[in-house]
Parts: sequence; C-alpha cells; structure tokens
Amino acid sequence: MIRDLERVRNIGISAHIDSGKTTLTERVLFYTDRIHKINEVKGKDGTGAVMDSMELEKERGITIASAATYCEWKKHNINIIDTPGHVDFTVEVERSLRVLDGVVLILCSVSGVQSQSITVDQQMKRYKVPCIAYINKCDRSGANPVKVSEQLKEKLGHNSVMLQLPIGLEDKHEGIIDLVSMKANYFEGDNGEKVIIKEIPADLMDEAEMAREEMIDAVSLFSDELTDAILEEKEITEELIMTAVRTGTIARQMTPVFLGSAYKNKAVQPLMDAVINYLPSPLDIENEAIDLDNNEESVILESVFDKPTVALAFKLEDGQYGQLTYIRVYQGCINKGDTLINSRDGKKMKAGRLIRMHSAQMEEVEAIPAGHIGAMFGVDCASGDTFVSPQINYTLLAMHIMEPVISLSIVPKDNKAQINMSKALNRFTKEDPTFRTYVDHETGDTIIQGMGELHLEVYVERMKREYDAEVETGQPRVAYRETITRKALFNYTHKKQTGGAGQYGRVAGFVEPCEEEFEFINKITGGRIPTQYIPACQKGFKGCMDKGPKLEFPVTGIKITIDDGAYHAVDSSEMAFQSAARGAFLEAYLKAKPVIKEPIMKVVIETPNEFQGGCMGLINQRRGIIQGSQEEGVMSVIESQVPLADMFGFSTVLRSATQGKAQFTMEFSTYKQVPQSVSEEIVRKKQEEKKEK
Amino acid sequence: MLKKDLISKSPVSKTIGFENITDGKFGAVLSRAGVGKTSFLVQIALIRLLNNEKILHVSLDDPMEKINLRYKEGFSNLIDYIGYIDPQKAVRLWEDIKLDKVGISYTEASFDTQKIRDYLKSFKKAGLVLPSIMIIDGLNFDNDVSNILEELKSLNQEFSIFVWFSMKNHREEDLCDNGFPIQLETYKDKFDKAVLLQPVEDKIEAIVLKDGDRADQKIKLNPATMMIIE
Repeated sequence: MIRDLERVRNIGISAHIDSGKTTLTERVLFYTDRIHKINEVKGKDGTGAVMDSMELEKERGITIASAATYCEWKKHNINIIDTPGHVDFTVEVERSLRVLDGVVLILCSVSGVQSQSITVDQQMKRYKVPCIAYINKCDRSGANPVKVSEQLKEKLGHNSVMLQLPIGLEDKHEGIIDLVSMKANYFEGDNGEKVIIKEIPADLMDEAEMAREEMIDAVSLFSDELTDAILEEKEITEELIMTAVRTGTIARQMTPVFLGSAYKNKAVQPLMDAVINYLPSPLDIENEAIDLDNNEESVILESVFDKPTVALAFKLEDGQYGQLTYIRVYQGCINKGDTLINSRDGKKMKAGRLIRMHSAQMEEVEAIPAGHIGAMFGVDCASGDTFVSPQINYTLLAMHIMEPVISLSIVPKDNKAQINMSKALNRFTKEDPTFRTYVDHETGDTIIQGMGELHLEVYVERMKREYDAEVETGQPRVAYRETITRKALFNYTHKKQTGGAGQYGRVAGFVEPCEEEFEFINKITGGRIPTQYIPACQKGFKGCMDKGPKLEFPVTGIKITIDDGAYHAVDSSEMAFQSAARGAFLEAYLKAKPVIKEPIMKVVIETPNEFQGGCMGLINQRRGIIQGSQEEGVMSVIESQVPLADMFGFSTVLRSATQGKAQFTMEFSTYKQVPQSVSEEIVRKKQEEKKEK
Repeated sequence: MLKKDLISKSPVSKTIGFENITDGKFGAVLSRAGVGKTSFLVQIALIRLLNNEKILHVSLDDPMEKINLRYKEGFSNLIDYIGYIDPQKAVRLWEDIKLDKVGISYTEASFDTQKIRDYLKSFKKAGLVLPSIMIIDGLNFDNDVSNILEELKSLNQEFSIFVWFSMKNHREEDLCDNGFPIQLETYKDKFDKAVLLQPVEDKIEAIVLKDGDRADQKIKLNPATMMIIE
C-alpha cells in the first residue's frame, strides 16, 4: 500500500438505483487492470458484474452490500466502496460515507436528480463528504446533462460547475470536451480504453469557449491567483483552474460536473483523473475521535504512521474463512500481529491476517497504514467498533444508526431450515446494525426487525439462497405497550397450604403512573415484611411488566409503592412473596385503568411542491398530525407524527401519489395512548389471535 | 377552566370578540411593518385552539420553525398575562393544543390555493374535523390579489373555513376618508372584519375598522406582548 497519502483516495460511488454505479465501477476496474473482462450488471452470460458478489445482487441487478475494492490509477491508490442505491439499504450508504473522504455522485442524464440522490446528498452533508458529479447515460434517448447540472443546483443546492461538454448526445454521443484543457476526448478500442485527444470540433468551439468562460468565472471564487490572472488578462493555466476546483470541491463549496456513458465506455478515464485531481486525499480531511480517558474530549487524528493506531470497523462479513472485518485506519498503522484494543469493551485482540479486498477476491498485505481501507480476519467485533493501540482509549464518533421500524415473524419450514436460519440471523445481525432479531417467548416465533419492507424481504431471500433456510413470514407488527392511567391500591395475601411447608406472604400498597419504565418504592416500616423478602417483592412486580394483564403487551410507566404487608415465621419465603407481588399487581392493574400505547413515528416527507397538498392529505388519512410544512426550493418538507401501525405500505402509497418523486424518512418519536376506536380493534384482533392458538 | 380564563383575557376577545372571529368569510389585521400583525393573528388563532378547534397557519414570510416559535411565545404571553398558573399545567395545555395547529410556509411565488384545497379535502376524505380558521400571513395586498381572494372565497364556502389575513400598509400613505388604509379600501367589500394596529406613543392601539357594532372600538396593547393594558 502506498505510504505517500497524497496519492491515496478513499472514495464511494453513490446514486439512485439503476443510475449505473456498478457499471461504472466495472469500467474503472477494467481500465486499472484489476479485471480483464467487463461484465455487465445483467450480463447475457449470467456472470454479473464483479462488484455484485452476492447471488441475489447479480440476479436483481442491484448492489446490496458494499463491496470494497481498490485500484491504481496514474500512481495513485484508489479505494472504492460500491454502495447500494435503494432507500431501504441506506445504512450501508451511511457506513460507507463515514469512512470515505470523497464521493462520486452518479446521476442519470435522462432522469436527473432522483429521490435517492436526495437521500445520498443529505448523508453526504451529514458527514461533510466532498463530491464530484458524473452525469451518466449520455447515450440514452432524452439525455440532457445541462438540465441535470441545473437540477443539482435547484434540487440539491449544489454549486455545480460543468467542467466538460458532451460531443453529441443520445446515439450520437462520441466523447467529451474538456473545458480545462480545451481539448476533445474520444474513446476508442473494443472497450473504450484508448483515449484519443484531438482539437475541439469547429462547430462546437463557440459553445466550448462560452462554457469555459462561465466555468472559470465560477471557479475563480476559490483562487485569488486565478482571479488575479483573469483581471490582469494573464494566461490561465490548467494548473490554476485545477487548484481552484480542488479547493472549492474539498471545501464543499462547489461540485464539478463530468459526463459520459459508462455502458458505452465513454469518458470514464477523465472521471478517474478527476477523482485524483479534485477529491481529497486522507491528508485533506480532518477526523475526530473522543478521548474516553480525558472527559470525552475530542481529539484530532493525524494521518501519520508513527502515532498510536485508531481504526474503525465499518462493515462485517461472514465469509468461508470466518468473519471478515472491513476497517479504515485513521491514525498509525495496523501491522500483522499488532495488539489492539476494542475501545467498546476493552478487549484485547491480535491483528491476524490483513487483506485488501477486490470485491470477493482478496490480497494479503503486511500492514494497513493510516488513510487506507482494508480488512482483517479472525476478529470478534461489531460494526462501528473502534480499534486502538493499547496506550490510548479513543473512540471514533458513533455512526448515525437508525432504529428498526418494522418487524416480521419468521417460521422455518423444516428442521434443517431452523438450524440454517439461526446461522444466517447470527451473521446478518453482526453485519447490519439496523437488522435485529429476537424470539417471541409466547409464540416461539423468531421476529426480525429492520428498516423497511424491502430490507426484511432481502434478508429473507438471502436466508433462502445463501443458507438454504426457507422461512414463512407473518404480517408486519407494531410494538404496542400497556400502561396505567390512575392510582390504584392493592392488598393481596398469598396463602397456600397443600401439605408440607406452606406459602404465606401479604403485600399492600399502591400503583400509579410515572415517567420511568418501572419504579419500585419500599415504604415498609416496622419489619412488616422482613428486609430479605423485599427484593422478592420487587422481582415479582417486575416480572409482571413483560406481559400486561390487559392484552399481554409489555407494561411501562408504572411506579409501585409497598407500605404494608405481613409474613409468617415458617411459611413465608422468597417464592411466596414473589407470588404475592404478582397477585397484588393483577389486583391493582385493572383498577388503575390500563390503556394501550402505540409507537408514534416522526415522519418527514420530501416532495416536489406540486404534491405538497396531496402528501399532507396522506398523513391525515393515517391518523397523523402534521406539525408543519416548509418549501425549500422546488421541494417541500412536511414534518408530521404518525402512528407506526398506519405506516405499513406507505412507501408504495407515497410513490403512486407522487409519481415516485417523493420520499420519506421515519424514526421513532414517542409512545402515545391509542384512541378508543383503535384500542377496540387491537383488542378484537388479539382475541382472534388467541382463539387461533 | 384554564382554557376559558385564557380565552376571556385574550386581547382578541376584548377587541373582536370570541364568537365574531369566525363569523363571515374574511378578516384582516392591518398595520405598518413591524407593529405586530403576526402576533395579533397568533392570538386570534390561539383562542380558537383553546376552544379545541384546529387552525391552519400559512406564512409567506416565516419558515416553519419561526411560525411554531411565534405560537409558543404568544401562548406564554397569554399565560403570563393572567398571572400565576401551575407551570406544569401550562406545559400540558400547550402540548395538548399545539397538535391542532399546522404551520405551512410558502414563498409568495409558490403560494397556491390548490395545494391548500388538496390538503383540506383530505380532512373530509378521512372524516376528520376541519380547521375552523386559516391564517394567511404575508400576502402582498399592494399587488392585485383579487384572483387569490376569489379562490379563497370558494375554499371558505366549500370547507367553512374563515380566513384571516395580515395586511401591510405604509407609513407614507394617508388613510382614506373612512379611516381605512388603501389596501383594505380596495377589497373592503370582501372583508367582514378588520383591525388596524397603530403605534401610539409607547403603546399599540387596536382599532376595530370593520365588525358591525364593534367598529371604532379602540383598545391599548402592550407592544412587547400584544396583551391589553388595563
């Protein structure tokens, strides 16, 4: 791995689904000699692109997991993370962006800025990742890169500046005009590998000169030298322009725009030059960690090799040789055999095999120095963990991980599937922090939770394909809760005499609503209940919280105070007091007016202005409360609170109501009491379920 | 009880009267820039919120966060005005009523009554109670707004929603003979209610310009809080 970090780039390729990310990456790998044959995303030979290493990805033509790879271009080492495009997989995109220094944002020259481009753009803003844009598919009918560049300004608020012009569009797309060098670039050979540089065709010269002037005008904001050169009418060199573009891009104040057609092998090489010329090296980016030994103060990490190591595990994969942990080293260097500490749990570990990935193939390396992305074998950790040298105790800022919003029950079809399903779930939950699983003790069903219907669907599919675990899925479910609304007294005696030692315990007191999940107050005086039995009482009450007496949902927000009781010198035991507490809870609970609470989600819709009224209507129809709506350029943002139970299938409804142009984000906000009518419906359903059992 | 107290102490109850707020089609609060049109409109909306009604606040000037902030401030001013109230009770009341308020922020160019119509239709479709009033803050009455008023009139008829506007007049313009600013004079037939806010010394004078019997009534308000000065 190159140690001159000026010549290292860690980049991501992000875009809306089907914009051609994987196709572009294939070209990059071909031109950098990493692969010797280009496979199309849905190739006729059924091979599939190299970056789509999962079976399912090959079949669907989408990229699900980030496949990391590296290549070399003009003596630079480029680490690429290919990221998924669908909104349900955004945790993958987010994890990638956290470790990347720059992004190539791909846009379709026909469809322009689409909903996922907006999501990706927000994520880039969150992690302050500089980007360059590549307008792909210029060979398609209806291609209009100038319009797309304008959309970057209007819809995403980028200061987009075109550094190239197309030579012909649609089926006449031949190449590009580089406005920096003022040369025409053509791409010949079977795979466009020969870049032919010629003079700009005469009929495009005027347009090119005008575009260059506009470009220089926009770029001059980032360079005093360039401004001086313009004012003093000196020669404007390529270096002057490139330095200014680089400064503006790294400061995230401009987005240089490139174009071409990856599928037709046009203008991929100039884009790779742009990656080197304009996207930052690890030295250009400031990364922070938190010093856990020093009041959690933030520390600036330095991309140097002789300082203590700080690295982030950003992705896990369970391969045939065990767990593969993708890491980005921010400071120091991880050498084979080094001792590292996982700052989350303080566990020591030894760096075993170190590799760098080329999609599914791997290449063993001796060390992963600061600024690089690589992978380790045989490390037991979770995604998002920080590895540090033993002498420091830093943690990298936690990644923004969303809480799962939907759950499904899954039942394996047979015994074999049962075993394989456990293996699959174990792997998936380690790989993806937004995918969770637990067993519902009552039904015995395994419940999976995730970020959306498609998210769960893909995991169910992966279980089947990769682990041969066929499962049946149930209906999506909402996590309801029960709570009480008023104070109620209890005075319960548990007494049993069935031969042998009896059981005796009396507890008295009251239950009342509270803000905490569960509170237990002991106000027993005079030894009415001996101290050794108090924990048993608490345990008995706490045990009732898992399953509410009303509808068997977990109970929250209850404060229990015990102030009286009685015991028997022989017959009282911990068990007896636990039973007494359970009885007391049941006695008081129904008197305390229990209600059902449901999760309320904060739903933010981003929609083109023309659909604002319609989208607000959709919220109204879902028992939602609109908190407000705001126009931002051509888009409107609608903030609302909607019960999760009414959000199932919302993405489909929203898509059809807005011609697929709106998107929404949803996160847990609070629990609220369900209205009476809904409560009755829940009770009815619950009773039906019980009958079925 | 608290709600009733707040309604009765509101400067709006004292000037226009609680019932009068939704009696008709259109109402306007007029003043020069910076005198307190929006604050007064917020007080109008608040007393309907306190009456368990829904309101819609459309602003052509302020972003959504600012609209929300103005309501919170308006509510606090009203609470402070009636004296000591258990702070927890006040917070609970605010949490309760704020959910019935929807703030929408447009720009002058993007304001389109069709979007509001779509939104209001969805209330009917979902069988929900419609907002009783809509505040439109920031519409420029120096321009020709007759088309917009026509469209809003049809919204008023279709959804029984009373529309209150802010109307900006200018220092250099003289009032018409009837005491109306020119902006109101142009559209006076369309408006059932109108209140003019004028700075007088260090106070604000609220003059009812149009409201049947109440016309010409004058009340002094605190410029910082828009509450009545006894």
